[in-house]
Amino acid sequence: MDANELNKALADLEVLAREATEAFAAASSADDVEKSRIRFLGQKHGRIEEFEAFFKNLPKEGKKAFGMRFNEVKTALKQAHEQSVVRVRPEARVGATSSVALHSSAAVRFDFSLPGLRPRLGRKHPLTQTAEELVDIFGRFGFTLATGPEIEDERHNFEALNIPLAHPARDPADNFYVDDKTLLRSQTSTVQIREMEKQPPPVRVVAIGRVYRPDAIDATHSCMFHQIEGLYVDKKVTLADLKTVLRLFAASYLGHDVHIRFRPSFFPFTEPSVEVDMSWDLRGGKWIELGGAGMVDPNVFRAVGYDPEIYSGFAFGLGIERMCMRRHGINDIRQFYENDVRFLEQF
Amino acid sequence: MIVSWNWLKQYVKLDISVDELVHRLTMTGLNHESTGDVEGDIAIDLEVTSNRPDCLGHIGVAREAAVVLGRELTVPEVKFPTSKPAASDVTGVEVSCPDLCPRYLARVIRGVKIGPSPDWLRRRLATCGAQSINNVVDVTNYVLLEVSQPLHAFDFDKLAEHRIVVRRARPGEAIVAINQKKYELRPDMCVIADASRVVAVAGVMGGFDTEVSDRTANLLIEAAEFDPVSIRRTGRALGLSSESSYRFERGIDAAGLDWASRRCCQLITEVAGGTVADGVAAVAAPVAPRLPIVLRFAQLKRILGIEIEPEKARDILLRLGLAEVRRDATTVEVRPPSWRRDLEREIDLVEEVGRIHGYEHVPEDVEVPMTAAPRGAAERVESTVRHTLVAAGFFEAATMSFVDERLLESFRVWSSGKPLAVDHSTRRQENLLRQSLVPSLLAARRLNESHGTLDSELFELARVYLPAAPAGLPNERTHFALVSGRDLRELKGVIENLLVALHAGVTLEATNVERPEFAPGRGAELHVGGELVGYFGQTSDRLVAQFDLRTACCVAELNLDRLAGAAQLIPQLRTVPHLPASQRELSLIVDEPAHWSAVESAVRSAAGPHLESIQFLDLYRGKPIPAGRKSLHFSMTFRAPDRTLTHAEVDQSQAAIIDACKRGLNAELRE
Repeated sequence: MDANELNKALADLEVLAREATEAFAAASSADDVEKSRIRFLGQKHGRIEEFEAFFKNLPKEGKKAFGMRFNEVKTALKQAHEQSVVRVRPEARVGATSSVALHSSAAVRFDFSLPGLRPRLGRKHPLTQTAEELVDIFGRFGFTLATGPEIEDERHNFEALNIPLAHPARDPADNFYVDDKTLLRSQTSTVQIREMEKQPPPVRVVAIGRVYRPDAIDATHSCMFHQIEGLYVDKKVTLADLKTVLRLFAASYLGHDVHIRFRPSFFPFTEPSVEVDMSWDLRGGKWIELGGAGMVDPNVFRAVGYDPEIYSGFAFGLGIERMCMRRHGINDIRQFYENDVRFLEQF
Repeated sequence: MIVSWNWLKQYVKLDISVDELVHRLTMTGLNHESTGDVEGDIAIDLEVTSNRPDCLGHIGVAREAAVVLGRELTVPEVKFPTSKPAASDVTGVEVSCPDLCPRYLARVIRGVKIGPSPDWLRRRLATCGAQSINNVVDVTNYVLLEVSQPLHAFDFDKLAEHRIVVRRARPGEAIVAINQKKYELRPDMCVIADASRVVAVAGVMGGFDTEVSDRTANLLIEAAEFDPVSIRRTGRALGLSSESSYRFERGIDAAGLDWASRRCCQLITEVAGGTVADGVAAVAAPVAPRLPIVLRFAQLKRILGIEIEPEKARDILLRLGLAEVRRDATTVEVRPPSWRRDLEREIDLVEEVGRIHGYEHVPEDVEVPMTAAPRGAAERVESTVRHTLVAAGFFEAATMSFVDERLLESFRVWSSGKPLAVDHSTRRQENLLRQSLVPSLLAARRLNESHGTLDSELFELARVYLPAAPAGLPNERTHFALVSGRDLRELKGVIENLLVALHAGVTLEATNVERPEFAPGRGAELHVGGELVGYFGQTSDRLVAQFDLRTACCVAELNLDRLAGAAQLIPQLRTVPHLPASQRELSLIVDEPAHWSAVESAVRSAAGPHLESIQFLDLYRGKPIPAGRKSLHFSMTFRAPDRTLTHAEVDQSQAAIIDACKRGLNAELRE
């Protein structure tokens, strides 16, 4: 048997599925329904029987390819039939009845061991689920969600973030430039600048979204990924506020108490800059990297017209993919963007 | 930066364990990556952030260790005998591009004997992962790893006219580097030349012709400073990077050039013999003294949130090599050392004091004031869209913003403008920013088919990127799109439900549109209030073939920004009717081209004031309905707000409806 024949049978099956579904949907009387049932699902001459026979004669590998869809169509048509039976009953017409009443007169006991008829249920993407959870938690701490464009100008992606022209981070080889002056944002910190330009202090926002870097793609790197970035600016914000907020965040996210530790680091737009680790057992417990953070650099404040002598603030950034991977035991970042339903349905 | 434990101990007393040291260094800014044993030594890999090039050498790391542990740092003294004729008498240095090379020092060593390095030198390099080449080259690498200053040794006798010219490359010039590969040079690159040709790509790699070989007897030792940006660009353009270029890109200690040059000469004479010529041939701008910085002690508390004793803060700064200029009760003024170019501002000092004092002193349980954090409209709308689609059985997808030209062209309903493209070597194919989400979703559906999931129902909510308005950033819009194996009516129902969920008090008008993306007669534009908000239809054969799908499927894409405007985020109660309604059903036979919308609007306009709603039930074609005609079956709900309607009243409305349909639509009542 060749592939053409199998493909043709699959195509014919789709035609049957469509015609039968339409016929059951259009049936307006019990008679119509019954006629359609005999025509499509009848045991002797129903059109589904032709496919049944075809399926039985298939070799093993063909059975696998064809069988799955065949069974789906068969199940779907049986459901369509059942629904039309219910729909054309006189008492169903006005819609005042529930299907419970329709079956209550049955003489035999309902078999509760039968599997339920499940309505289709989708899922949010695991990255969305993680992002929403983070936004929700930070929302409880007073951080409002802010957004900004993914294609940015150099001012928002670099200059205002204290990344001068000579800085290696601006090298075209390390960014996706769209033209001389605009590029795909390499971090969500751009939104910090936009928010501060928009309003005087105090500011307490989180930004979330896609960012782009030309990293070689492997199990832990993608040229596109998601970040969440937080910013809190007011008159008396200190590094202790940052540590506290991140501890409360981590404890809320994990559901139990944790401790936070800062390791000195370097980012152009914060000073001091720190890498943030968390641990739930201070006695010899492992420290797990959470993200980067720091106190907003005075040059950033100057770039947006805030007086760094009056205001201070902190900023932090966390990688959504990394948090999601660790939370759900995902070990390859590429799975997020393949959208295999067998992956998506697990979250 | 890989440092050797034994080597570090030359500069600072380390009577603690390796683990203790790396922990202390990690907690003060040199992040520990890994530790490994190498030939009786321990290699410690530390991550050095780009602001701390001084820690790309052992002395820099030892200095940090000394500060953290409260020990003395011992920097070796450099002394060696010299001989006449002086360096400046036997060679000359000319710099024609001081912008790219502000300082160049050349020393000459005569009578060296090239050979293998002594064990101690070879081992030091091995721990740090550097290969031993010969005694002279090894010394240059040793000093690089000691003090983070790249050096280069030329075979002095191979330099034409025994002199050095630092200049920009000339058009058409090329060099064979020590890796024996040929590089074409560009006029913006800084090169080291002799009287006739290029002998090194400045700061990046030396030339093959003038490298030190077994027969080399006399050396010219280069110690220079190059412009970091120029070095980076040159390295990128040539696809070359080296330990030297890595350090030049991050900046070297200009004030330490002479020490590094002399240190190199001293060690060469120790391991390869020879004598150093008197003095130095140099072109070097004076190193400007560092400007003092004032630290107000109160800033420590203001930024770090903890009290640090002024005396302690001052002590940390002095141990880090800053020199006190002046101090009073509330401030200290200090001058940073030449190797700490990252220290320029008060905030830099706050960080230095904070990290050495230790961030473990910063509490994690202070009181943070509460504040309001309202959820914005876009956030609510996106959340509702996702919930509704998930409940309708759709899986949310996340696909790449990049597409290739074929994908972009496959479904191009929103713009015919030139797509935005990124210019990057890693994206030669998928370099375009998408203008629609549908192609990516069709590709995802195809992938699912190939994995045996034939009925993947997917949606995505993401940005599309349309060309820029004349001035300003590109037009980024939030769209959502669906792909589904369900039929058009089912999919339309999903979209209608979205409007219901958003409480959008608007009607979605779908009008047929013939486009190559859709099968003939099975594509539509969606309008709300006369404005185009989306497209919706069954994929054309062309699309099915392009994506290699098993069968046609239905797709929809809507501009969420437009729908969001119609959403009513806080719905207001309409009084739930307490009087009974009257239901009537009708089957009307109409001509084939008549749309349901025409019947619906005829019914509505003829029904009078009491028609509350009208609901489509069935469409039937076939016997006994004549060809070219079809039967539309629907129900109507009549209700008055203040009384129960009588049969007669409803009959009257119904009669008017039938009459209007007969006249306007050539309808006939199906008995």
